[in-house]
Amino acid sequence: MAATLTANAPARPRKLLASRRTRVGILYALPVVVYLLVLFVYPIFSTLLLSLKDADGSFTLHWYADALTGVNLSVLFTTLRISAETAVLSLVFGFVLAQAITRLKPILAGLAMLVVVVPHFVSALVRTYGWIIMLGDKGLVNETLTSMSVPGAPFQLLYNELGVVIGTTSMMLPYTVLLLYGVMRGVDRRLLAAASSMGAGKVTIFRRIYLPLVAPGLASAGLLSFILSLGYYITPALMGGPNQTMIATLINQQVTKENQWNGAAAQGVILLVLTLAGLLLVKVVTSLGASRKKRSA
Amino acid sequence: MAEFGIAAPSVKVAGSKSATATGKALSVVALRKTYGDVVAVDEASMEIAAGEFVTFLGSSGSGKTTTLMMIAGFCEPDSGTITVGGRDVTRLAPQKRNLGFVFQQYLLFPHMTVAENVAFPLTLRGVGKDEIRRRVGETLEIAGLSRFGGRKPRELSGGQQQRVALCRALVYRPPVILMDEPLGALDKKLRDQLQVEIKTIQQELGLTVIYVTHDQEEALVMSDRIAVMRNGLIEQFDTPRELFERPKTPFVADFLGAANFLPGRIEQHDSEHTLVRLTQSGTLLKARRHELASGTEVKVAVQPGRLRACGADDGFCTGTVENATYVGTLVRAGVRIDGGDGPLLRLEVPAGRGPVAGERVGISADPEDVNLFPTEQAG
Repeated sequence: MAATLTANAPARPRKLLASRRTRVGILYALPVVVYLLVLFVYPIFSTLLLSLKDADGSFTLHWYADALTGVNLSVLFTTLRISAETAVLSLVFGFVLAQAITRLKPILAGLAMLVVVVPHFVSALVRTYGWIIMLGDKGLVNETLTSMSVPGAPFQLLYNELGVVIGTTSMMLPYTVLLLYGVMRGVDRRLLAAASSMGAGKVTIFRRIYLPLVAPGLASAGLLSFILSLGYYITPALMGGPNQTMIATLINQQVTKENQWNGAAAQGVILLVLTLAGLLLVKVVTSLGASRKKRSA
Repeated sequence: MAEFGIAAPSVKVAGSKSATATGKALSVVALRKTYGDVVAVDEASMEIAAGEFVTFLGSSGSGKTTTLMMIAGFCEPDSGTITVGGRDVTRLAPQKRNLGFVFQQYLLFPHMTVAENVAFPLTLRGVGKDEIRRRVGETLEIAGLSRFGGRKPRELSGGQQQRVALCRALVYRPPVILMDEPLGALDKKLRDQLQVEIKTIQQELGLTVIYVTHDQEEALVMSDRIAVMRNGLIEQFDTPRELFERPKTPFVADFLGAANFLPGRIEQHDSEHTLVRLTQSGTLLKARRHELASGTEVKVAVQPGRLRACGADDGFCTGTVENATYVGTLVRAGVRIDGGDGPLLRLEVPAGRGPVAGERVGISADPEDVNLFPTEQAG
C-alpha cells in the first residue's frame, strides 16, 4: 500500500458518504419541514404580523398597548395569579400523592399511578362538567357537608376563583405526580439511612437531604403546571365567574364576539412569550438537574 | 446449637448492667434475629474494648452484616441487648445511637460539597461555625483530602469518596464506628492501600471500629480481633494469630488457613504431645497435646505453609509430588500420600529448594502447628 493512496483514500469516500447522507436526510425531513412550515411557522408569523398591523395596514404597537392596559391587563394578572395558585396547589397535592405512591408496594404503586393518570385521558370538557356536578349547590360535596351539618354549608364552590383552581389543579395533577414520582424514585433511600446513622432526625433528613434532592423535580413540575394553566380555556370558562376571565377566554371573546383579530393576536403573542419564557426556565432547571444526576452516576 | 460457637469472653457479659469500666466500648448479649424460618443471627455475644479494631468475617449469609445492622439500628433484633458505653441502645432509632457508619456504597450527599458532607453530622450536633470549620479541616487533613473540600462527591474517585465517607463518620468522634465492607467496591491495589490508611487513622485516633468483610486477608491485616461467623453463629472470636494458629473449629482452620485435613485416630499421649495414627498412610503423626481421649477419631488440620518436604524417612508420611507450581517466593505443591486416594496434600514451601513433580518426599510438620478436631465436630 503506497503512502499516497492511504493519504487520499479516506477523504473521498467520507465526502461521498456525507453528501449522500445529507441528501437522504433532507428527503426524510422534507415532509416534517413542510408540515411545520404550513401548520406552525406560518400561523405564528401571521399572528405576529396581525398583532403589529393597524386597521389600515400600517405598523402599530397599540394592540399591545391595549392588551397591557385596563381590563386586559387585569385579565393578564388574573391569568398569572390563577396559574400560580394552580401550580402551587398541584405541586403540594402532587408531592403528597407521589410521596405516598413511592411508599407503596410495586403492584399497588402501579395501580395508584393508573388512577392518577387515567382521568387525563378523559376529555377535559367531560371532566369539567363532572366537577360542576360534584361542586354545585346540590352537588355531592355540598350535600354531604350539609347532611353532616357543617356550619356555612352549602359553600359556593363554583363560578368563583376557588372553582377554577379546583378544576385546573385536578387537570394538572397527573403531570406533577408523574414528574415528581420519577424524581422521587431516583432518590437513593440509603442516603436517608446514612443521614440517620449520623444522628439526623426525620425532619432534618427531609429538609436537608430529601428536599434538595427532589428540588429540580419540584421546580420543573411547578413550572410545567404553571405554563399549562396559562393557556387553559375550558375549565376557567365553565367553572369561573366574570372575575376569573383568563387570557384564553378573552382571546376567544375578542375573536368570536367582537371580531377583533388584531387585539386577539397581540394577546396570543403575549401568552406565547410567557409560555416560552416558562419553558426556557423548565429547560434550564431540568438540564441542571440532569447534569447533576449524570455526573453523580 | 451454639455449643462451640461462642468465644470465651462473651460468657462474662451476663452482668453487663454494671459496665462502668471505661475500657468497654460496646457489648452485645445473646443477639438473635430470624427472617421467617431462617435464623440470620443466633445468640451472638461479644464484648469490644475501646480502641479495638474488630472484624466480623464470614461469607454471605453468615449473619455478619445483619449483626452490624442491628448494632447500627437499621434492623431490630428479636431478642438480646446491645450496649454502647454502658447505655442500652437495643430499641433506639439509628439517629439516637451516636454511632458512625461507613457504607460500601459511600453514600455521600450528592448536593453537598466534600466539606459540607463532613460538616453535616457536626451541624446536627449544634457545633459552632468556627469549630466546624476547624474540625472539618483537621479531619480532611488526616485523610489527605484537604485540597478537595470544595468539590462535589461526583468529582472524586471511588477511593477518595470512601475517604470522605470515613471522615464524615469519624468527625464527630462517635464511640464506635461501624464499617460495612467499605472497600468492597474498590480494586485490589486501592483496597490494599486504604486498608493501611484506615488502620493507621484508627490507631492514631484510638477509634473503636467494627468492620465487616468477607475477605480473610483484609481481616487479618486490619483487625485486633476477628469474629469468624457462619450460619448466624460466631465460630470463634479471637486475635488473628490465635485464629490462625489455634482454630477452635475445622471451619475456622479451613476458612482462614485453608488447612489440609487428614483423618486419623488418637493413639496415645505423652506429657507434651498427642500421637495420631493417620488412617490413610497408617503412619504416626506427632501433634501438640490435645485433651482428647485415646481412640477418638479426629481430623488433623495443618496449613499448607506449615508443612515441610523432607527426606523420605524423616516425615510423618511419604508421598509423590504430583504437581509443583512456582508462584514467586513460594512453590505450591500437591502431594499424593502413599496408601490413600484422598485429596492431594497441599504444601507451600520456600521457592529455593522446592520439590519438583514426580519426586518422592517425606512430609513433616512441627507438632505445634498440628490442630486436631474430633470427627463428630467436623460438620
